[in-house]
Amino acid sequence: MSLLEIRSVSVSFGGLAALKQVSMAVDEGEVVGLIGPNGAGKTTLFNCLSGFQPFAEGHILFRGASIQTLAPHRVAALGLARTFQTSRIFKRMTVLDHLLVGHHLHQRTGLWAAIARPAWVAREEAEARERAHRTLALFGDRLSSRLHDFAESLSYANRRRLEIARALAAEPRLLLLDEPTAGMNPHETGGIVQLIKMIRDLGVTVLLIEHDMKVIMGASDRIVVLDHGEKITEGLPEDIRRNEGVIQAYMGRRQIRA
Amino acid sequence: MPLYEFVPRRSNWHAWLPVLLGLLLFPLLVQSEYLLNIAVYAGIYVILTSSLNITNGYTGLFSFGHAAFYGIGAYTAAILATRSGIPFWLTLPLAGIVASAFGAAIALLTLRLGGIFLALVTIGFQEIAYLVILNWVSLTRGPMGIPGIPPATIWGVALSGNRGYYFLILALDTLVLFLISRIVTSRVGRAFVAIREDELAAQSAGIATFPTKVLSFVVATFFAGIAGGFFAHHARFVSADSFRLDETFAILTMLIVGGMGSLPGPVIGAVFLVVLPEASRFLAEYRGVVYGLILIGVILFRPEGIAGVPGIIRTRGALSRAEKPSAEEGQPA
Repeated sequence: MSLLEIRSVSVSFGGLAALKQVSMAVDEGEVVGLIGPNGAGKTTLFNCLSGFQPFAEGHILFRGASIQTLAPHRVAALGLARTFQTSRIFKRMTVLDHLLVGHHLHQRTGLWAAIARPAWVAREEAEARERAHRTLALFGDRLSSRLHDFAESLSYANRRRLEIARALAAEPRLLLLDEPTAGMNPHETGGIVQLIKMIRDLGVTVLLIEHDMKVIMGASDRIVVLDHGEKITEGLPEDIRRNEGVIQAYMGRRQIRA
Repeated sequence: MPLYEFVPRRSNWHAWLPVLLGLLLFPLLVQSEYLLNIAVYAGIYVILTSSLNITNGYTGLFSFGHAAFYGIGAYTAAILATRSGIPFWLTLPLAGIVASAFGAAIALLTLRLGGIFLALVTIGFQEIAYLVILNWVSLTRGPMGIPGIPPATIWGVALSGNRGYYFLILALDTLVLFLISRIVTSRVGRAFVAIREDELAAQSAGIATFPTKVLSFVVATFFAGIAGGFFAHHARFVSADSFRLDETFAILTMLIVGGMGSLPGPVIGAVFLVVLPEASRFLAEYRGVVYGLILIGVILFRPEGIAGVPGIIRTRGALSRAEKPSAEEGQPA
């Protein structure tokens, strides 16, 4: 059984069909790239997966359970974490606090425990902090040197890294990355491929939306292509590179002249 | 360390000994009932402002009905004490519990709404609470108010004079601030701030945002009710006019001037704005002008307040400062 199974999911906004009968599966331990021109429905599919976008038709099974009616925080509790296409950092929270919020599901301190502070609360906090440092180590000293700074003060690329770190702090089974390199320079982009490989080596399955072909080809084990809300093909990176349909979707029809 | 980051810790509590000592010695050095009365009122507003800070400052909810919960607490204590003869040490927590029960009901009904809608509903509740208090004569004596509330008692001894009330509110403030600091520095407090900063991101981090917002509201209204209970036993008379919208705005002004989203902010704001009008009495009719100028000055030159989290109030200046690094976001991705 696959970790994630999407079975003919359709979403329409008014008359516009954003997703048409899309089916795909992601296996444990894979990095799957999701590509397609702007407006192909990639982010809509992410929103369906993470509980933000209701869908009338189709099924999504994550670890064998249907997530169709679940609120986003319940989907997160099943082990699915995501980042967003446009930055959604907590501007007036420190880097460390982002990681601790990310770890929220693995802690159980409620109102009364927060007030009474029994010994296990201190242990829980210490453990969360240690996990946070381990997660931040993936990013070298880029974030760990700014531990107590507000996220607002970080550079653009570091904000994107921080969002990934926050998602990783949830220790997810499946991580959805929505254009992690958007707005990064080529040098910063190169680091993302390494990062995704490190994330996979931690045992986290990754579903990746990306426009940068170097990143997609370098990081993905398998690629799914969407266009106008439909899955047009899927396959290994080298097959996708040569696929006529994909080239057409991006470039338009080849003009053949005699 | 910036002031907004200040959180009392075991390691730095002794740094605050002189302050505590000063607060303890104040009523022994000052004989004037008038000055002690101002200090007691400052203490009541410290609770009101710090509790409003939980919803409006930490969780980012726009509640504009705080005086209604303050009033519900005051009336609860007044009615229980005058009709049923319930002692002070029971009316005080009951005032908090009744106020937070109303808080829970309002929260459950309205917290699915965001931003300005919540503000409107809480203003509406504020007015409804006032009208109910004014017209439910058999319970509240309506416009006549409730006189003859027994004074607060400590170990059976009734307090007379403001010195006793001063020590009582000092202890109560310390307890309330301790509880609030415990809450906001925990996993629960982080969830509050995450919701304020970005509710969608908070949800995808696994925070159940609706119950968390309800909890924030319940805690805030509980403390408002406690402040009301204390007020009833101190003033020994309650009337609906003390708990109107202008009272809510007075508390809100203290919070904004002091600074939202930090522990010291509301304390500083409450003490400052209770003392300022009294300290500027010598200005006679210019008092209001000076008060207004100081408020405008704070908003213009320090929009986050005296000790608030920078950028928490979005003026145009603050907005452009906050948004600057994300100019690249506009690029085609």
